[in-house]
Amino acid sequence: MQLQPSVALSTYLATPAHSLAHLNAVDIAVIAIYFGMVIFIGFYLKGSANTSEEFFMAGREMTAWIAGLSFVSANLGSLELMGWAGSAYQYGILATHWYWIGAIPAMLFLGIIMMPFYYISKVNSVPGYLHLRYGDGARALSAVSFAFMTVLMSGINMYSMALVMKVVLGWNLNFSIWVSSITVALYVGLGGLRSAIYNEVLQFLLIWLGALLVPVLGLIDAGGWTNLKAQIGARLGSEYVHMWSTTGHFSQNPMGIHWTGLVFGLALVISCGYWTTDFLVVQRVLSANNLRSARMAPIIGAAFKMAVPFIVILPGLLALAVLPYHLVGESQAVATGQHSYNEVLPLMLVRYCGPGLLGLGVTALIAGFMSGMAGNVSAFSTVWTYDIYGAFLNKKATDQHYVAMGRWCTFIGVLISVGTAYLVQHAASIMDYVQGLFSFFIAPLFGTVILGMLWKRTTKAGGFWGLLAGTCTAIGLFLWVHLDPSALRYVALSADAKTLAEDMYRALWSWLVCVIVTVTVSYATKPKPLSELEGLVYGVVPLPVEHDDHWYQKPIVWAGIIAVLFVILNIIFW
Amino acid sequence: MREEISIWFFGGVLFLIYGVIICLEGLWELSHPLVNPPVLNNLHAPIWWGAMMGVAGLGYTVKFWPKKSRG
Repeated sequence: MQLQPSVALSTYLATPAHSLAHLNAVDIAVIAIYFGMVIFIGFYLKGSANTSEEFFMAGREMTAWIAGLSFVSANLGSLELMGWAGSAYQYGILATHWYWIGAIPAMLFLGIIMMPFYYISKVNSVPGYLHLRYGDGARALSAVSFAFMTVLMSGINMYSMALVMKVVLGWNLNFSIWVSSITVALYVGLGGLRSAIYNEVLQFLLIWLGALLVPVLGLIDAGGWTNLKAQIGARLGSEYVHMWSTTGHFSQNPMGIHWTGLVFGLALVISCGYWTTDFLVVQRVLSANNLRSARMAPIIGAAFKMAVPFIVILPGLLALAVLPYHLVGESQAVATGQHSYNEVLPLMLVRYCGPGLLGLGVTALIAGFMSGMAGNVSAFSTVWTYDIYGAFLNKKATDQHYVAMGRWCTFIGVLISVGTAYLVQHAASIMDYVQGLFSFFIAPLFGTVILGMLWKRTTKAGGFWGLLAGTCTAIGLFLWVHLDPSALRYVALSADAKTLAEDMYRALWSWLVCVIVTVTVSYATKPKPLSELEGLVYGVVPLPVEHDDHWYQKPIVWAGIIAVLFVILNIIFW
Repeated sequence: MREEISIWFFGGVLFLIYGVIICLEGLWELSHPLVNPPVLNNLHAPIWWGAMMGVAGLGYTVKFWPKKSRG
């Protein structure tokens, strides 16, 4: 089965002299079959995306399982997979916080508390909810910032993947960027959200199958979990294998974080902001076929999200123990020719996987990138069409016109992403700022949405000024520390805090400012009559009663089970 | 809904194809050892991993085989 790759394809794909691994014909066949399958799904579903409801919301026909898997998969982009594996190598098991306390409570909160309001209001997007609750100002602010950040993130994801493929496999950067982006544009442009969701489910399964062998073989290689912990402890210190016990002070752990930042900044604000208001993920749940499915989807997603550290964080920890060389930061890697943290996942794949399995692992990485990018462009095209173009530029177009606009937007979104990828190639420092940029908008938006849903006294002016004040606070705090690094002791409460801790506290302060301004302005302005808040605010109209045949069908039961598992896991790895 | 093909059928077919390819590659390596084998190559991961994928894929392919459209 060790066939030789065709000459033409190998010219594009491999320059073995500079790469760590070489794909043979079996690997290339595995990758080609994947591309063939996703494009086929796009063409197959083309006929199911004729109306705007079908194209943008997948006809609201997805089951809880499909919506739930797609919900998690859209978040599993290349930065998420390779970046957090690299963070695990850099910071140890602390990186798991971004999968557990930084995701699970927020996902359960979305399913149990917030989903009913999104779902019964029949909005098509998160800015759409803001429109109903606060009017056009908050909608425009949210839609424009979301559209801008979405294509920017998509381009950065694209560049990250292409860079790793170049370093590890010797692939041409342009080849990786264009082939993967054209494929995503094709299947999302043809089949709309339904095609994106179908492929995301497929990609989620592939990510697991392709990446699962690394921790399995890695644990055998390291002599089991106990031996792995002992090896890391002896080499770097026990703080690399404990999640909470070293977070009592900023200087006691490699991440430079404090538990208050994790609980209040990460879990309460950043994570809730991302998982409950970022339309990239919320759109998947809105496509569910009924309210029960919409509530179960994030709960199913939470169960799978809780398992993701096994294929992302564990390989990073294993690399600390088994790799015979040391990985370094991106800038040092570029200067010295060493491998960077971000390459740890592909490096571990190359270590354990021979022909065929290596192709499957590379396919998993490509699938991760494509699911993230498809999520970005499908959300971008929906927000642009519904909340910018349809809301402000052309309000009276036909349904067919909006579908055509959505298809064009998909291609344009991909092109802007490609442009961003090339921009990042020439100005790598942009990547350092984008993660922070994203939190500028997400944290205050969560304050605005949650007050709007839970407090009927919140007014239109309160929502808009709160959102604006929160966003300006986040930007202001970022610039303050950027221009005067000693300001870190005020923003992050300690001069020992590091970048991730600063992000958490900045998000917390901007959220607090948003909430305080919203409440203050709301009390000073006239509230909306209750008749205009029906279906939008807690307590105004009773939520529809769900009739489950058995107790075990209730979403709250499953949310409880996931919550108990979450607590147990945190105690085990304390 | 227009489509008759379930997403799980697509997944099943893909896993079946991958399982067969990877398992055959593993069997081929028994008689044609790799020049640069990966770590733990003695465990023959392609054979059992490919076989597991193939069996799971076959199960899903059969269970979710597209049904004929009514009417």
